[in-house]
Parts: sequence; C-alpha cells; structure tokens
Amino acid sequence: MGLQDSSQDLSTEMEVDAFRRIFPLRFFERHLSESLRPDGRQLGKARDTIVNLGLVSTADGSALAKIGSTTMLAAIRMEVMTPSTDSPDEGCIALEFHMPPICSPTVRPGRPADAAPVISKRLSDTILSSGMIDLKELCLVSGKAAWMGYLDIYCLDADGALFDAALLSAVAAFSNLQIPVVALNDNGRIVAITGGKDQDNASITEKEAVNKEKRKLTLKNIPFSLTCILHKTYILADPTTEEESIMDTLVTVVLDSSDQMVSFYKSGGTALAYSPAIKSCVELARKRAKEVKQILGEMDID
Amino acid sequence: MAAKPGAATPTYSPKLVGRTRLPIFKDSDLDWSRPDGRGFHQCRPALLQTGAVSSASGSAYAEFGNTKVIVSVFGPRESKKAMVFSDVGRLNCNVSYTTFASPTLGQGTDHKEYSSMLHKALEGVIIMETFPKTTVDVFALVLESGGSDLSVVISCASLALADAGIMMYDLITAVSVSCIGKSLMIDPVTEEEGCEDGSFMMTCMPSRYEITQLTVTGEWTTPNINEAMQLCLDACSKLGEIMRDLLKQAASASEE
Repeated sequence: MGLQDSSQDLSTEMEVDAFRRIFPLRFFERHLSESLRPDGRQLGKARDTIVNLGLVSTADGSALAKIGSTTMLAAIRMEVMTPSTDSPDEGCIALEFHMPPICSPTVRPGRPADAAPVISKRLSDTILSSGMIDLKELCLVSGKAAWMGYLDIYCLDADGALFDAALLSAVAAFSNLQIPVVALNDNGRIVAITGGKDQDNASITEKEAVNKEKRKLTLKNIPFSLTCILHKTYILADPTTEEESIMDTLVTVVLDSSDQMVSFYKSGGTALAYSPAIKSCVELARKRAKEVKQILGEMDID
Repeated sequence: MAAKPGAATPTYSPKLVGRTRLPIFKDSDLDWSRPDGRGFHQCRPALLQTGAVSSASGSAYAEFGNTKVIVSVFGPRESKKAMVFSDVGRLNCNVSYTTFASPTLGQGTDHKEYSSMLHKALEGVIIMETFPKTTVDVFALVLESGGSDLSVVISCASLALADAGIMMYDLITAVSVSCIGKSLMIDPVTEEEGCEDGSFMMTCMPSRYEITQLTVTGEWTTPNINEAMQLCLDACSKLGEIMRDLLKQAASASEE
C-alpha cells in the first residue's frame, strides 16, 4: 500500500492531467465516489447515439452508427448463391467485422487487431440466434437459388463499447437493405435486372421478376446490447477506451425487442459478477434498449 | 459525416489561362458530356473535414463526389524495435480499401502501389528532422471509390498531417486529369478512368509552387501535357486555399 499512500501525497499538488495519466485508477475512483465520470456522465448513462442510413452507394444497404466517438460503418451486399442441401430453402448471412489501422493507435497494418475476430464471431452469433432475420425470406427458388448477404462492418473510430456500436450499425444496415430485383432467364439461371431504362426492359421486369414483393426484410426481435464495466461496487454503462483499459471486467447484455435475453457475455476480468450486479446490468440494458429503440424509431425502423 | 446544412461545398475548378486556343471540336462533336454532367474543366465539390477520428493524433475526412476517404495520422511515436537508429524521422504510409469500396464484389485489401505513391508524395513535404528516432504513421481507408482515389487520398493526408501538427514545408494537394481522345477531363470519375487513353496526376505544394510528384501514363501529346499541367497547377492552388481556410476555421473554433 506504500504506492497508494505516496500517490495520496503527490496528488494534492499535481496537475489534473498528469494525475490522470500517472494514477489512472485513483483518478477514476475519485470520480466514481462522487457518482460521476470524467466526461460528465452519470454511471449508468450511455453516450449520445447517432444513426445515419444509406451512406454507401455501392452497397444494397448501409448505415453509420456513432456512440460517443465510437463510429461504425456497416454495409450489406447481396449475391445469389446455390443453397446447401441441408437447408434448400434458406439464404445465408456472412458477417465480418474489420478494424482498419485508421481506427485506433494500437492497430498496425498487416497485423489485424486481436479484438476483431472475437467481435466478429460474437456479432454473427448474436444476430443469427436472436432470430431477427428469417433466413427463409432470403430464398428465391427452393433448392436452386437463395440470397447470400455479405455484411461488412468497419470500425472507423474505436473509443470503447465496440460491440454495441457494431451491433447497432448492423441492425440499422439491415433495416436499410433493399434487395435487388432479379429474374429467371430462359436457362433457369438468376440474372439481375438493372435499372429498366428502356420500355422493353421494364416489361420484362414485370413479367419475370421473382422477388417483386420481397424487397425488404421483415425484422423481428431486434437485438439491443449494452456493455458495462464492473469495478468494485460500481457499474459503468457504455465505457470509453480509457475506462476499458483501466478497469477490465466487461459485461455485455443483449436483449431483444420484447426484453428477452439473447446473450450474456462476461469476458473474465478481475471482478466477479454476483447476481445483484448482473440484475442491475440487465436493468441498465433494458433502459438502454428503450433509448435505442426510440432513436431507430425516429428513422422509421421498427 | 454529412455536410453542414447551409454551407455550400467549395470547389476548385481551374481557370485556363494563356493563349486563346482554337476549339478542337466542331460543335457537332461536343454533344456528349461527362457522366455526372460536369464541364470538362470542372472539378467535383470538395467536402473536407478535420478531426474525424478522435483516437488519432490528427485525421481528416474527404468526400469528392462519390470518392470518400478517411485518413488518420498517428505519432510521432516510437519506431519499431527492428529499425536501426535514425537521425531523422520516418514516415509510414498505408492505403486500404473497404470490401464495398467499388461496385464489383472484391476483397478489401491493402493497396501496395498507392501506399508507396502516397509515401513518395508526402516525404518531400514533411520536415523529418523535427521528429528524430520516431515514426509518423499515415493510414488511409477508402470507404468508397469513385475515381481519382489517389489524389483525394494525398490531399486528405496532408490535411490530416496538418491537423496532427506535424511540421510541413507547405500543404500538399493533388489533382488528376484524364485524356480521352483529344479532350482533357479534370478530376475523372471511375467510368472515365476506365476508358481513358492517358492519365496525369500532379502533387504540388501550392504556396511554394513546387511539384513533389508527377505521374504521366498512357498516350499524351506535348501540348496536352502542357495544358494538363496548367490545369492541375491552378486547381491545386485553389484546393490549397480551400484546405487552408478549413484549417483556419478549425483552429479558430478550437480556440473559442
């Protein structure tokens, strides 16, 4: 405890910024004891959240989600594939989460970030198990053709709570998705109908389009997530990178639209989670889900 | 990322000076226009923004038509352990594309050629002596490729370097010109780049009137090269002014 005591003496004379760098944990704990965080938030409060739709013109659906400064760009591109024999009437979603070197000082080119494949796996597990997308809706001709959706999420700015922002951008991108119109040609193969500039083309569209009705996916059970830090008796919602690096026990709760739990994830860490802590995390997640629902609702997303 | 409402996006179309030329085309040849309806010597509106990435030392976002680029600058920070001692600083550049950058389904990967060209364009303008033994990293991500990608990346990188406070002799701007048939088109889009006979890209320091990089490929005639050079120099200096204004605004906003 010698170090703690010496920091106590030093801290009275030190400048705030220097103190924050040298004794980050003490700096945070002093804030937490006042029920306030260094950025002025209350412990259970998430950062401001913004969602923008349809920013990528080359994709069939895209969205940009911003939680505080954490920024995620998600884009979906659809391709026709032959479904597997196990599930002849189902399409497929391939999800990948990227952390390019621009997003954080710790990522270097040629060496992908350790966190990226982990988040990638958790995201695809969450989206597929939540039942948000009915894979049968992606079927075009049973056993012959179905949609393959390539969802790529790019982290443009990493400042904590990466999973929450990535999931939000993915959900928003799916809500923005416009499935391209395709038709069966004489050889029984699927071809894309582009534009329909001249009159002949337009009449073909009406005659043969296989999926005229199904241009949008129906999203049900949309998953919402909240990451919290457990530190001693404190629970901090929606942490920044700085907070994540100082206090390492993270808990992620994913709930769906009807407040049912989809997934719960605690990634080790020094603090142990007891049932009261878990209960309050779920309670915070429930509040957060309501907020996010409202943000998405303002943009006509169910 | 969207433009601020109310503020018109500035553009940097050059003015062709010098002798008046006889029109090369008869009127009947001029009935075709560019895919986005611009004039041959008209540039796309340049939307620029600094401070796009909070965790970087400096960053900038550029949107020229459909070309959208983010550049982050990190450092000066410790060089890799394997590097030998160096009196002057090092510059490390990387350009990568997203998987959805271009309409054809491709793999988003590092673009080695652009990375090295970005490095060569920037190394002449940065005062490397100011950060000995350390490295400055310039990373670019092309979110969407809409033509003239490299020139947008270079201009955006210089803005990000300025935002990071890295010492430079001058801002650096890049403009490219495509030659199709007998006509020159400034700031080409992807479709135009696909059918061009020759391409020309100039990277210059507008205030010093010095060129750090000049790339000419394909078929060019001497008068065309002269004209392209005039166009690029003028557009570069105009783009430089836009970037300078932006940096001034950003600086005065942060003071308040």
